Amino acid sequence: MNQQELIEKIKNELGEKIVEIKGPSARRIFLTTSTENLVNVIKKLKDCFSFHHLSTISGVDNLKEFEILYHLANNIASLTVRVSISRENPVVPTICSVIPGAILYEREIQDLLGIKVDGIPDPRPLLLPDDWPEGNYPLRKDWKYQPPEEKIPGEKK
Amino acid sequence: MKKITIPIGPQHPALKEPISLRMTIEGEVIKDADVRLGYNHRGIEKLAESKTYIQNIYLMERICGICSHSHTTCYVQAVEALCGLEVPKRGLYIRTLVSELERIHSHLLWLGVAAHEAGFDSLFMYTWRDREVVMDLLEIISGNRVHYAINTIGGVRRDISEQQKEKILEGIEFLRKRTEYYTNLGTTEPTFVARISGVGKLPKEKAIELCAVGPTLRASDVASDIRKDDPYAVYDEIPFDVCTADTCDVLGRVVVRVKELIESYKIVEFVIKNLPAGEIKIKAPRKVPEGETVSRYEAPRGENIHYVKSNGTDKPERLKVRAPTLANYPATIEMLKNGFVADIPLIFAAIDPCICCAERVVELIDVKSGRSDIMTFSEIKRKYFCEKKRETL
Amino acid sequence: MSILKSLIYLLIYPGLLFLFVYSTFCEWFDRKLYARLQNRVGPAYTGRAGILQPVADFFKLLFKEDIIPERADRVIFSSLPVVGLAIVLTAGLYLPLWNIDVSIPSYNSFQGDIIVVLYLLSLPTLIFFLAGWHSTNFFSTLGGVRVLTMLFGYEVPLFLAILSPAIVADSWRLAEIADFYQKCPFLLLFQLTGFFVAVIALQAKLERTPFDIPHAETEIVGGTFTEYSGKKLAFFRLMTDIEMVVGSGLIATVFMAGFPGNAFVSFVNFIIKTLIVISILSLIRAACSRIRIDQMVNFSWKWLTPLAVMQLFISILVKGVFWRILQ
Repeated sequence: MNQQELIEKIKNELGEKIVEIKGPSARRIFLTTSTENLVNVIKKLKDCFSFHHLSTISGVDNLKEFEILYHLANNIASLTVRVSISRENPVVPTICSVIPGAILYEREIQDLLGIKVDGIPDPRPLLLPDDWPEGNYPLRKDWKYQPPEEKIPGEKK
Repeated sequence: MKKITIPIGPQHPALKEPISLRMTIEGEVIKDADVRLGYNHRGIEKLAESKTYIQNIYLMERICGICSHSHTTCYVQAVEALCGLEVPKRGLYIRTLVSELERIHSHLLWLGVAAHEAGFDSLFMYTWRDREVVMDLLEIISGNRVHYAINTIGGVRRDISEQQKEKILEGIEFLRKRTEYYTNLGTTEPTFVARISGVGKLPKEKAIELCAVGPTLRASDVASDIRKDDPYAVYDEIPFDVCTADTCDVLGRVVVRVKELIESYKIVEFVIKNLPAGEIKIKAPRKVPEGETVSRYEAPRGENIHYVKSNGTDKPERLKVRAPTLANYPATIEMLKNGFVADIPLIFAAIDPCICCAERVVELIDVKSGRSDIMTFSEIKRKYFCEKKRETL
Repeated sequence: MSILKSLIYLLIYPGLLFLFVYSTFCEWFDRKLYARLQNRVGPAYTGRAGILQPVADFFKLLFKEDIIPERADRVIFSSLPVVGLAIVLTAGLYLPLWNIDVSIPSYNSFQGDIIVVLYLLSLPTLIFFLAGWHSTNFFSTLGGVRVLTMLFGYEVPLFLAILSPAIVADSWRLAEIADFYQKCPFLLLFQLTGFFVAVIALQAKLERTPFDIPHAETEIVGGTFTEYSGKKLAFFRLMTDIEMVVGSGLIATVFMAGFPGNAFVSFVNFIIKTLIVISILSLIRAACSRIRIDQMVNFSWKWLTPLAVMQLFISILVKGVFWRILQ
């Protein structure tokens, strides 16, 4: 089936769970949904439309809100599921129960953007060092770079 | 022997780049493995938000030495899709040519590294000698042995002349003979096969579930290749086959990569023989219109995906890169369980790790100890100075 | 006069000095051949065609910093390389060079000295294990364990293969065995299987590819030698080189009819025959990849030992058939 038919079928299957779906160019589909329906949408996509492969999870900081994009792929098109969450209380449910390979990507957005992923099996930070100060999320737009104080051992006080 | 945790890395002769694998072993059998990343951060995604689109091409190239062309092509394709540019055919053909030469180079390098990890130094020396042939060809085309810098938004920067075409065909002919010799050697030499057969098993369902990519996935009998599923450049016009193997172990991955080498030779010959005449690039606008897009590319190690979001200015709003090695880490941990300590370097080398590709996300300031502070101070000074100049708030 | 000859025998030729110099030459030969087989150049700049390269490596290591791990036993850690070197040098004294008089047993040639040489050559394995154990580093312990596991694999075929020519020659004395085969060399043809088994088992004893499992660089960082540096590492490397010379000398004595002739002719014989054995060892090293420890033990018990037992059987048959001629 081609891309247009796929979009129609997805609209029929998922109905009111999706807010918007569009196919701007060949083999690219963008789908918007909400955090409550996220896990169900991805489960349906995986089971009925064979979107087994999760390429990555991107987090975008819009200064008003966060957008989390889940890039899935099958052999017809590459589909991106978008969820928007607020900046004050960034919480999103985990999809590791549906796609176990998502664990490293979820750890990454937790680490760098400060988004809390509910129910993640392994909540350790992925990339930042162990003594990184709490609350300091480098990939946010309002993060200012502060160089650490230079300490030369044995200098005059 | 009771359970002991041993560290492989960050410094270890089996690893070419720093990564920390903590193995819990009992005797010579691995019971559990844990991977810790972050030793090779350079802050590329954050840095890309403060540089223009053209400057970002050079930044993307330096993500990795061996897969430099993959990252630039993927990025440039995304930006061209946002601007709505149609690259001329000759430019696309030259891009494909360099992609395939890079794939040949990467697979020959990998064969040597895998042989060295197994202790088979003779194969290592032979394949690296042949790799010099490919690097000379790339130097003829682009002027550099690594970091070819041949892409620009809207096409390629250099053209190919008739003599260069002949030299490329000669080189490919030589390499084809040598590759047949290596196929024989790699699959029939008894000590080598005993080392790599049955090692690092990854069953088909697990490979799909853990979202593995590239030859690691194709060796588990899944025919998934971005060049066929989501064709970019001119791959929809070139006839080639997707190479799979069904043994699901390191031997399968060797076989897949060697078959891919042979397919790449065919593709290069097709491209050279059918190179159309015409322009090699078209002019691209400085400010990219608002929008977002996803671009995928089949790097030698697997699927490379770039997500670009633009906001109408000449700097990107968000650039997200996911290199193929990062996708293979969960699969590696699965493969390491119930293996032998002696197989650790082979299993890890079989996914073709390119660790500097996999870690670029955010600026890592090393606040750990006095010594590292002083070492990176000049870097910190430079980054602070750079960042301050380009702050957009 | 005999005391002078004994002193020269012990210290100069074929004792200390000769073994030192010749082992560096053999290491150069091995490295050059290995490199040429891999389409490389090998050592090329130090001395003519790189012949002084092993000497340069030895002296470089002597000048490096010597570090002893904190929890290691200083006395044993430091004395192991020296003890190992002494053991292999002693083993080298029993090879029948330079006019060993077959009718008079002496301090370096007596009944049973083949057993002494084999025993002395298996002590370095214990030294490696102790070196790995006393380094108190996990990788070294693993290397030491692998060394002993390999010992269970190759020791039996090596012993059986080397003792079968002795059975035909009806003596346990190296000089007499060499003398016997110099008189009727056609009997050597029956020992061909034993020759190949002994060469492969010697490759395992010397811990060279495909059997360099105990100090596999890409797996356990350096195995038993991880914590050794400076002078101690220099002595260990010299010890492995001399072990290679003595091992190939032993195989040349037993399987290639020794070194006949007066002092000069036996010297030339020794060089040619040991170089032949070392070329075979280098060839095996260039053509194979490293195997795992369980595969190695499998291989030696399924293939090497039965071949060695078969060789023993053939020797007994030969002795029975040719009894009249030998009498």
